[in-house]
Amino acid sequence: MSIDKSRRGFLKKSAITSILGVSSAQAFSLKNPGRDAKDPKYIGNKSAHYVMVIDLRQCVGCQACSSACKVENQVPTQQYRTFVNEYELGEFPLVRKAYLPQLCNHCAEPSCVSVCPTGATFKREDGVVVVDSEVCWGCGYCISACPYDKRYFNYETKVADKCTFCAHRVDKGFLPACVETCVGGARVFGNVNDSNSDVAKLLSTFPTDVLKPEQGNKPQVFYIGLDNRIEKVHNATHLLDDIVRKENGALHKEWVKLPKENR
Amino acid sequence: MDMQTIMTTIAAISPARAWGIDVPNYFWFTGSSAAAFIISSFAHVFGFKQFKPIAGFSLLLAFVLLIVAPLNLIDDLKQPGRLVNFFLYGWENFGTSPMKWGVLLLMAYPTLIFFEALILYRAYFVKKIDNAGNFMQKVYKTLAFGRLGLDKENLEKDHRLGFILGAIGIPLALSVHGYTGYILGVVHANVLWYTPLMPVLFLASAMVSGTGLLIVLLPIAQKFFSKARQVDMDMMKRLAVLLSWFIVIDLVIRVLWLSFAMPFGGATREPLYQFFAMHSTMIIYVEYLLCLIVPMMVGFSKLKNYFWIVVSVGFISAVGVWLFRWNTVIGGQEIPRSMPGFMHYIPEIFGQNSIVSVSANWALLIAMLSLIMVIFPWDEEMEDCYKGVNNGKK
Repeated sequence: MSIDKSRRGFLKKSAITSILGVSSAQAFSLKNPGRDAKDPKYIGNKSAHYVMVIDLRQCVGCQACSSACKVENQVPTQQYRTFVNEYELGEFPLVRKAYLPQLCNHCAEPSCVSVCPTGATFKREDGVVVVDSEVCWGCGYCISACPYDKRYFNYETKVADKCTFCAHRVDKGFLPACVETCVGGARVFGNVNDSNSDVAKLLSTFPTDVLKPEQGNKPQVFYIGLDNRIEKVHNATHLLDDIVRKENGALHKEWVKLPKENR
Repeated sequence: MDMQTIMTTIAAISPARAWGIDVPNYFWFTGSSAAAFIISSFAHVFGFKQFKPIAGFSLLLAFVLLIVAPLNLIDDLKQPGRLVNFFLYGWENFGTSPMKWGVLLLMAYPTLIFFEALILYRAYFVKKIDNAGNFMQKVYKTLAFGRLGLDKENLEKDHRLGFILGAIGIPLALSVHGYTGYILGVVHANVLWYTPLMPVLFLASAMVSGTGLLIVLLPIAQKFFSKARQVDMDMMKRLAVLLSWFIVIDLVIRVLWLSFAMPFGGATREPLYQFFAMHSTMIIYVEYLLCLIVPMMVGFSKLKNYFWIVVSVGFISAVGVWLFRWNTVIGGQEIPRSMPGFMHYIPEIFGQNSIVSVSANWALLIAMLSLIMVIFPWDEEMEDCYKGVNNGKK
């Protein structure tokens, strides 16, 4: 009898302990566990506000930034966090090339963050928009909500992925990989709250533009020398060259289609 | 075109698109569920006795549709094993993420329908207790909440509770589908989706698909599984007329949507013109003409007296709304926003988010509906309603 009682007591205690354990490990959260724990990776540099200035006059379209980003962040084959679109403007003989490096704009009012139903994507206190790949459940709402198409499902991690301004490097005092490698010095990164920073000086010296200001997202990637005709091409509806899709043979396939071995 | 604006994209990358075939199917299921619930409420809440015989059946249909619908969402997830994160985290985005509203709605709405159905059928469960074995007696007692009285007072209480739950259920049904309209309507990045009309548009088209689905399923249930083994043609005609009116409402809202988006539109005008031009055959001839205008004309004409014509227009109107969901969800994502050229989507045949997964979802709907129809004595209730409403005549 006494054994039975002690067993019952043990079972009760274990049940209570396990319930408490589960509830404390997976408690309801307004944010997500990393932010609740004030993990520095989730908070960032509280006194800073990071932005990027891209001087299009310096960009030669070499794609060194695209390559460096892929290596640094282990971005899967045929997926990109940043890419330099290449355009031809005008008609012979009045023709010239134009380049538009694009990456996540780390918007001040990011529409990807506000729609995220799990709190996986959020804005750090230094303005960097990141995704918690442990929390994201892969619903894709952020991908649909981004006006800049700068998010994708990473087919290795199977969650939403995007540029993080190389937050892991920035937190250690390094520059983002794309900035570090930019051969023309077109990409400039820094803390805009610091008036001595290069970005603060550039922003106060040159007129700058952002992509799609009408979306109201307040992008934090600023362009010097942005030709507004390039913006128009985003709304152009002719099916023009798309090197990646052509190479994949995916022009007329499902849009998430990737080579079978990579799925 | 001005020479200076001629542009060629030499290099660009394919942008990612998130949603495939599961999402329009989910929207269709929730919408049809809301419609079936509202048709059921015609009798339970608004007192339209002519719809009483199908109130129970459509309530059960609404329940099953909503039980099966969220599985589309789970299938669409890249990390379905993290479903719990949806419930645990990210509550600070509750106000701005319509998807988050689904946490509450998708739990509250089917629960409410289930309890309403139990109350509606309580008296029938009680009647079954006497002839049931020990185990089933316990089941029926549980389903009847242990309230086993069949006197006038108890029946009135059932009626009152049914009315209250139905009345609460109507805004809930509207919300459960309206929120799906919000999911798309708030996305300002997408020129096709971004309109405050989207929730209303979804609700209006949902009423069409739900009525169409009832027109298809009701005769099957009545002919093969009801007590009388007979199709109520008067009810079919009534539903055909109802369908026509729902189509009128749907068309009015669609005209409002498309007129403000295109002829009177601003920046959205050009891409939308291109989009609708590209899909003109499908949208104008199939979605609008065949699947909306033709069914509407049938309901408003003598053609509604022909059984097979009514069943056919019920079917094509339901299909038409599915195509509308497809053209909205998939079509909206086709429109370019960071590189030129429309995207294309062809669903996979097997695997997650595929034609087979959606077909499996439909198969589950049929299986669940069959199961629910076995558990709930909808046939007896339908028969009693006919005896009461039409003096026993059909």
